[in-house]
Amino acid sequence: MGVAFVAHCLLNQNSKVLDGAHCAGVYSPVVDVLRARGWRIEQMPCPELAFAGLNRFWAVREQYDTAAFRQHCQRLATAVAGAIAARVQQGEEVVLVGVEGSPSMGVTITSSDPQRGGRPAWPDGSPELTSGEGIFVEELHAELGRRGITVRVAGETHAIPGHDEAVQRAGLESVLEHRDA
Amino acid sequence: MRDERSYRVALVADRYVNPEPGQIDGLAVLAAADWGVMQLPDDAYPAEVAGPLLAEVAEQVEEFSRRGYGFILVGERDGLAEALAHVGVAVPDRIVPASAAELREFLTVQPAPRATAAPE
Repeated sequence: MGVAFVAHCLLNQNSKVLDGAHCAGVYSPVVDVLRARGWRIEQMPCPELAFAGLNRFWAVREQYDTAAFRQHCQRLATAVAGAIAARVQQGEEVVLVGVEGSPSMGVTITSSDPQRGGRPAWPDGSPELTSGEGIFVEELHAELGRRGITVRVAGETHAIPGHDEAVQRAGLESVLEHRDA
Repeated sequence: MRDERSYRVALVADRYVNPEPGQIDGLAVLAAADWGVMQLPDDAYPAEVAGPLLAEVAEQVEEFSRRGYGFILVGERDGLAEALAHVGVAVPDRIVPASAAELREFLTVQPAPRATAAPE
């Protein structure tokens, strides 16, 4: 098979923003699918953890879209792209598994609210979800593009309304098998 | 939503995350014991690939350490001690397990993380 570069929190829910950890440590539904199909797992760094810390607030894409965070993501993306390039040079297949709804790790769904800021008081819910990539994924794609590498992507959907583990599994399997979902 | 985190993080050598047949499946043991995993770069990577990845691991460990999360090292990785030293963090308690049972036993004797202590 190939190598799946997975979002940090899929192996370590301790990296999540407070109140965001779905389980104690390893998010097994994604890991199990990858292992059952013989894919190697490689964990990417969490872009938000080292930048904003463990006590960070929940935030949308616009709040992270600063020059400083972009620079941070570019540094991480360069490190990850080095590993992806090494795998590609060996002829290995590579997929990227992100986290849908994340301002940095979303692959097809990110979060957006241009007005959000100030004292946090917004209610639980997901009106901020919108089509698009998170900032780290965007920077990683840009770095891989400079190296002439394209990768297929899948997203973990726990934070998306109507999350269905079977649908998530089918989506991930279709990306691993390289067929249209 | 209730936050389910364990406040426990294991730095784990790649061979325990992606074991060959017959080797110890460290990821499965750690998952069952509710530990989070920070994977260390594959030993096959050249230094110019592994070095930047280790630097990012160390930076994240520094944050976990500062916030009182418990962490341990499973296996070994050249360059890790230097990367941790660069951010002022000592190499945590370590095990190179000979069996899954030995790893499980090591996990059970770890102290409760500082972060889970009741506030004074």
